Amino acid sequence: MKAGLEVHQQLATGKLFCDCPSELSETVEGSFARRLRSASGENRSVDPATEFQASRGLLFRYEVSDASCLVDLDEEPPHPINPAALDVALTLALLLDARPVDEIAVMRKIVVDGSNTSGFQRTALVAVDGHLDLDGRRYAIDSICLEEDAARKVREADGEVTYRLDRLGIPLVEVATGPDITSGAEARAVAEEIGALVRATGKARRGIGTIREDVNVSTEGGRRIEIKGVQELRKIQEYVDREVGRQQVLLEVRAELKRRGAVAPAETPVDVTDRLASVSSGPLARSGRHAGSVLALRLPGFGGLLRAPSGSDERLGRELADQARAVGPKGLLHSDELPAFGVEDREVKDLRAVLELGPDDAFVLVTHPDRTRAELALRRVAARAADAIEGVPGETRDPLPDGRTRYSRPLPGRERMYPETDLPPIPITPEHLARLGARLPERPSVTRERVARDTGLARELVLQLVGGGHIGPFEELVRRGHAPGLVARLLVQDVPAVPRAEGEPEPEFPIARLDAVLTAEEAGAFAKEGIPAVLRELAGGAATVDAAAGKAGLSGLTPEELERLIDRVVDENGAMVAERGDAAFSPLMGDVMHEVRGRRDGQEVAAALRRAIARRRADPAP
Amino acid sequence: MTGTDGGDPWDVVRSLPTGRRVEISDPRGPTWTGTTVPRQEMSGERIVQLKLDSGYNVGVRVDPSFQVRLIGDDPREERKRAPGPTAAPAPVDDAPWVALLTTGGTIASRVDYETGGVRPVREEREILEFYPELGTRGRVRIVPVLDRLSEDITPSDWEALASRVVGVFGEGAQGVVVAHGTDTLAFTASALSFLLQDLPGPVVLVGAQRSPDRPSSDGPSNLAAGVEVARSGLLGEVVVVMHAALSDGRYAIHRGTWVRKMHSSRRDAFRSRNGPPLGFVDATGIHFEQPVRPAGAGPPRADGPLDPHGGLLWFYPGLTPTQAERFADELRGLVLAGTGLGHVGAAHLEWIRRAIGAGKVVAMTTQCLEGNVDPFVYATGRELQRAGVLYLGDLLPEAAYTKLLWALGHATDPRAVEALLLSDVAGEFQWRHVAGDEA
Repeated sequence: MKAGLEVHQQLATGKLFCDCPSELSETVEGSFARRLRSASGENRSVDPATEFQASRGLLFRYEVSDASCLVDLDEEPPHPINPAALDVALTLALLLDARPVDEIAVMRKIVVDGSNTSGFQRTALVAVDGHLDLDGRRYAIDSICLEEDAARKVREADGEVTYRLDRLGIPLVEVATGPDITSGAEARAVAEEIGALVRATGKARRGIGTIREDVNVSTEGGRRIEIKGVQELRKIQEYVDREVGRQQVLLEVRAELKRRGAVAPAETPVDVTDRLASVSSGPLARSGRHAGSVLALRLPGFGGLLRAPSGSDERLGRELADQARAVGPKGLLHSDELPAFGVEDREVKDLRAVLELGPDDAFVLVTHPDRTRAELALRRVAARAADAIEGVPGETRDPLPDGRTRYSRPLPGRERMYPETDLPPIPITPEHLARLGARLPERPSVTRERVARDTGLARELVLQLVGGGHIGPFEELVRRGHAPGLVARLLVQDVPAVPRAEGEPEPEFPIARLDAVLTAEEAGAFAKEGIPAVLRELAGGAATVDAAAGKAGLSGLTPEELERLIDRVVDENGAMVAERGDAAFSPLMGDVMHEVRGRRDGQEVAAALRRAIARRRADPAP
Repeated sequence: MTGTDGGDPWDVVRSLPTGRRVEISDPRGPTWTGTTVPRQEMSGERIVQLKLDSGYNVGVRVDPSFQVRLIGDDPREERKRAPGPTAAPAPVDDAPWVALLTTGGTIASRVDYETGGVRPVREEREILEFYPELGTRGRVRIVPVLDRLSEDITPSDWEALASRVVGVFGEGAQGVVVAHGTDTLAFTASALSFLLQDLPGPVVLVGAQRSPDRPSSDGPSNLAAGVEVARSGLLGEVVVVMHAALSDGRYAIHRGTWVRKMHSSRRDAFRSRNGPPLGFVDATGIHFEQPVRPAGAGPPRADGPLDPHGGLLWFYPGLTPTQAERFADELRGLVLAGTGLGHVGAAHLEWIRRAIGAGKVVAMTTQCLEGNVDPFVYATGRELQRAGVLYLGDLLPEAAYTKLLWALGHATDPRAVEALLLSDVAGEFQWRHVAGDEA
């Protein structure tokens, strides 16, 4: 198995080709609708991926928010490339020892699924030929690109897809490795390291969905599969491992098809609607299929090969169904899973007879209210079955939440790209590179080593600090005299945990404010357990740390008040103390902490309580 | 073959034709393998643009120390021979047809995906390849007339277009569509409105605001809507059909003399001034909201000539009388785009009087683009009017200018020219202005 990664990280520099902020927005101000068509090129070859998507004839609706302008609407030519975003890409090139090109040519990559209003994504190759050293291994960095993010899909109805434009145009820096990764675990580590490198520039956007990976997997005998848009790093490993399993099953199917001498099936469907007239339940029931025709396709030599082999969840039947689904039908039924779904044994036998099938042959059934859709689906099923005889077809697959992937579209060809004629080439001068080279951020590997050495923090915490891009605030707060452990927990745990609305980015706290929170905690205004509540109130609009502590009910417990509170609790439980002695500590600590609620430090409370219990035992009350 | 046997590799690279596969090796860096593409006019010194196998173009500075190796022609040449999409169904000779006159605007041009070069499409087969839907409802016959960007179009081109329109109607066209670059489309629409008389069917100008090399281009749907209007036979005048809004699916039908390009890039840039468009085209058909000029029995006439000795001058604070008089010097007539209700600085009265005294026609429009001019409200207006300046109601400056060329072509006496300017030739005046949606 060989795998390569493309890591896409959004940048917080403002959009790539206009002057909008790189922020998502919930403020929808209006919408408009468009159709896209696949433009035919000079060489008459329409890119396969493009043609495929255009064939679906969808209407695209776009929601306009306050984070989009006419450039995002494809109503105005692109502005010159965002210089800050370009600097991030070039800085990464220098950090990865890559060779920047001398002149950047912005390209248009045709994408007609509607996610780009123009029908193309602007993308530029910035540097090539770098490498990343990690855990004693060297990974080739084939390319560093800068491209526009696509609009985000908000809903999909029959024949209409709605996108919101806020995300469209946010810069993505794309770092692509060579096929040097040999396991899922390695893939995850490399992805994390590249993410940490981008965050070291200080220009990475934060939060869910701001970093996405495409994973390219090929196995011996298989072709390249691109799993597109993995958002959770920890899932990379699972996707890679399961893809390897899927390819193995498909290669076994190929071996058996070869042994049987199977050939590509004919594309001619057979109308079997009348034969299934008595089906009364399941997807083919007359009521369920809106009186659409049921079409069958013969798959000679495929009998028994459409179902999953024992010990696996992967099967060719699902691959065929994915093809049908892509053009309208909800799926298909294949002979390896029949009789079932309301189709009786006698109907299966009848179909086999009508279709003149032998014991090694299979068939599939498809229905759709629009007969041409069903026919189109079966042509695609036939083509996919023919591919199975060759092995694993190269394709793009979507990651699913359960760790599986699903067919998405053919792999795009290079025909998909042509120059963005609205933008002149961008020269990259040695002086520009020298200027960036003089202020390169520290590499994450160096930072990790230095922070671990200087602070003695645990390795995992250091990884989170550096990987999460928190190192700047961390070092500044430590420099201001706060304890490294407390600062680290504040940054990697407390701040990200502040509650927020779905889709909202993490709240941003200025350094001065975090400094004030830590200072107040150290002065005893509240305990470190109270920090999350204080942050929550600050994010909710409290003007000062004092006010936030007050709103959180954390202020006003002096050491004397604590003593009195503890004495009261001990008094109320005098009998228990007398009976259980020091063992009364645990239940009483629970009662006391419930009342203290983060207003004083837990250790301080424990010490005071132990003293109070000792006093009581030495001098039991009358 | 290398370029380093004593010579400068740049000399080898710069002389390579487009489409050659080449390997350029940096002795201290990577080797670039790709296909040569046309030199970017804005590229820097010693930079060659290569299309890499990934599809990306990059610019590589060819240092004298580099090695250059040609590795044969582009192997992808083969694929370019793939047959094109099937052409339109063979037309039935007596089937009704619409003429599509092309002028070289971007509505029909083809991108070379290898190089990014764009060239206009000329053949019917090619147009139908781009716009297959045109062939589904009847014939469209392509008639190339001009091949130039719209900013290069001149009054003599308007006359040529007008006579071709008359020609294709004579050959039996139901209607005519003119594909035109959008920059001066409104000028052409105005000029054709005055030039074409007794039209037996619609003459529809269409364009594309977003280039046809992008899947989102508005060109195809504007063209389809334009053909729909041309086929309808519902009117006998010159109109412009373009996107009515940012969405696809609704197209405005503008009278040729009322329309103006009001945005440099938006799809809905074309707007009727002083009132709503004549009507709209959408999925449910063609709907008129204003009275239209009906199709006549014909035959149509190209009512030329245009006399190019007319001009259009935009007044601005700082324009000196000397500059303005010099501009008017070689002209027989001049349209002023004045301020507000139709004013120019009082200092200009003197040369204007001289010009009119010398037999020139001076007419006034407003640079506000909407509303009437009116000489009676302010003293300057009254003086200009007394000096003989002709106030042209709510005519757009561009419409007034094209009408002036037409009037100068039809009369020699200044008073006769003025009478033509004030006459209703193409429904160009709107006498009633209503508050509309803003009320």
